[in-house]
Amino acid sequence: MNNIKEITKEVKETADRFPRHEERILKGNYAASEAAKLCRVGFIPAYPITPQTTIVEDLSDKVGKGELDAEYVNMDSEHSVFAAAMGAALTGERVFTATAGQGLFYAHEVLHAIAHYRLPMVVCNVGRPSIPWNIWSDQTDSLAQRDTGWVQFYGESSQEVLDSVIQAYIIAERLELPVFVVLDAFYQSHTSENVWVPEQSLVDEFLPPKDRRNYEIDVEHPKAVGGLVQPEHYGKFNFKYWEALQKVEDLTNEIGKEFGEHFGREYQAVEAVNIGPETKTVLVTISSITTTARGVIRNHSDVGLLKLRLFHPFPKKSVLKAVESLSDDVAFVAVERNFMGDKSGAIKQELERAFYGERTNPIYDVYTGHGGKDVPPRTIEKIIYRIKNNPKEFTWIDIE
Amino acid sequence: MQPAMDFLIKEEKVFSGGLSCRGCGWSLLVRHLSSILGENTVYVVPASCFSIIAGPYPLNELRGSVVHTIFAAAPATATGIRHALDRQGKKDANVVILAGDGGTFDIGFQSMSGAASRGENLIYIVNNNGAYMNTGIQTSTATPYGAVTTTNPQSNYKKTWPKDLMGIVGAHNIPYAATASLAFMQDYRRKIQRAKEMEGFRLLMIDGPCPPGHKVDPSQSIAVSRLAVETKMFPLFEIERQQYTVNYIPEKFVPVEECMRPQGRFRHLFKPENKQILQDVQKHTDKYWERLLAMEKLTHELNIFED
Repeated sequence: MNNIKEITKEVKETADRFPRHEERILKGNYAASEAAKLCRVGFIPAYPITPQTTIVEDLSDKVGKGELDAEYVNMDSEHSVFAAAMGAALTGERVFTATAGQGLFYAHEVLHAIAHYRLPMVVCNVGRPSIPWNIWSDQTDSLAQRDTGWVQFYGESSQEVLDSVIQAYIIAERLELPVFVVLDAFYQSHTSENVWVPEQSLVDEFLPPKDRRNYEIDVEHPKAVGGLVQPEHYGKFNFKYWEALQKVEDLTNEIGKEFGEHFGREYQAVEAVNIGPETKTVLVTISSITTTARGVIRNHSDVGLLKLRLFHPFPKKSVLKAVESLSDDVAFVAVERNFMGDKSGAIKQELERAFYGERTNPIYDVYTGHGGKDVPPRTIEKIIYRIKNNPKEFTWIDIE
Repeated sequence: MQPAMDFLIKEEKVFSGGLSCRGCGWSLLVRHLSSILGENTVYVVPASCFSIIAGPYPLNELRGSVVHTIFAAAPATATGIRHALDRQGKKDANVVILAGDGGTFDIGFQSMSGAASRGENLIYIVNNNGAYMNTGIQTSTATPYGAVTTTNPQSNYKKTWPKDLMGIVGAHNIPYAATASLAFMQDYRRKIQRAKEMEGFRLLMIDGPCPPGHKVDPSQSIAVSRLAVETKMFPLFEIERQQYTVNYIPEKFVPVEECMRPQGRFRHLFKPENKQILQDVQKHTDKYWERLLAMEKLTHELNIFED
């Protein structure tokens, strides 16, 4: 009985912490579609691909029922989805869509165009790899788009996905940059979790309607957009774009803090867990593997966790700050659910770049969870054991 | 009979200084188009000769908005623009795609078919000059049989027939599709007007003279375009909801050689050993024309496609 009382008390306390929210049980994909609705998106081009499909299905339903005042269009491919998103964003609409794996790869050309036309939008990607055919969780697809210039957030939970979409629109529209919010396939997209869904008015107070900036296509003020740029001018566009990218990390932290004040859940570019004087090893993770690692390190007082929420542009300042108290012999372990066709995984590559000239810690790379292979607590334990007893620069944990 | 003055541009909506080649069809095409559609128009331009003609950054040749977009997806970009304008209450604005044959027959084909199938409220203009002219005369699936391009040089000239784009587009059951020629200006202008008055996906395919690509003297652009219609190599017709109407029936038989001889891209076909090829082109042209007349008769008699 005591236990039930405790649970009831805990539920009530949480509810008090999140007033003007409704507690719902949502799959990650529905957290994403709910977020898009709360952000009052105006244009949704769509094309189905597993495991994203239920996001756009749900949005089509919401538009059909009149719950969401938006134009929803079933396109002929992901390439066309992103091209339509580009056209609508260029004409001043708040745009949302979702994709995954092959769809994202197919849209690659347009990703560059959207980013370099400086068009704000938010897109959810439900990560899966490419060939050999596979539809399960893997971050190779989105990480391979790192250099298209899109900002990339990775959500640890469905709550975080919902909250990140709202924050992402502010960042996107303020800096005129497109943003990906990435979910894990199935472990997140098709798994039900408790999600606190804010009331519409609460979101409206936080996220203003999309303002017009004068670059939009507007028949009353004709203009040409996107013409051939001569070598003389080309670099200037990249420079302005580079300047905007420099602001992403600070703005992420600023908006994450404001979000916390407004909604009761604070976010930062990175999160440090159990990093302190005792720390000998730090696991570096993105997405839902973070949750598993959180549980496991409770049994290891000397193992810390560094969660990367913002991945691109890489939050170098936040990472260095999170680990500034650690000595240079602490081992960093990059947990890679990705394969970049290179020696190192994406996380290790970025950590090395961030540490260069700043820190000399050993960075160990662990490849695990590819193509949706589960990364249970046992695997995290195994990683910790290996790094402590027989550290190797590269370990492929699942194929042994 | 309409008065001959009907082909004059009343209000010019194109600035001087367009970057087209001498004798290019694009400029004339767009001058008439823009003067009829007016300034309340967004032009969506995929990679094509027109992306250069319309002006590099920061220039704009047109009195109207121009969006330069990616090669394969101009109709998709236009879809986004159209829906955004509709949401903003600007349903009366025209959204017009200006594409070449490469961007329509080949790389943009799926995107065009998607927009046509969805019934997007767009006007699609194809300037069909029968090759990738902007990149320097490479074969497209619109390139005529027997023609020489840089990817089908004389040793290996094109030996397949061009895609029947109009047949395919018409089969999408769209409200309006038509061919037009810059040598038949009143017909072209009427078709722009007709397209403008309609709603839904409308497509005009214009025979695009290209002196450097076709190896024709720039002064002969319109003359050769006229011969394409007179020889029935480029028939003028309309398709409304799959119902065909032929707009111009040549009074007398003009052999295809008359249209092909002034074009350097067909020069090799006039060697004695290639006589058969010219005969094949004539035969194919005649068959297509007969088929067109049969389609006109059939679809008018059946009258089943009216909406």
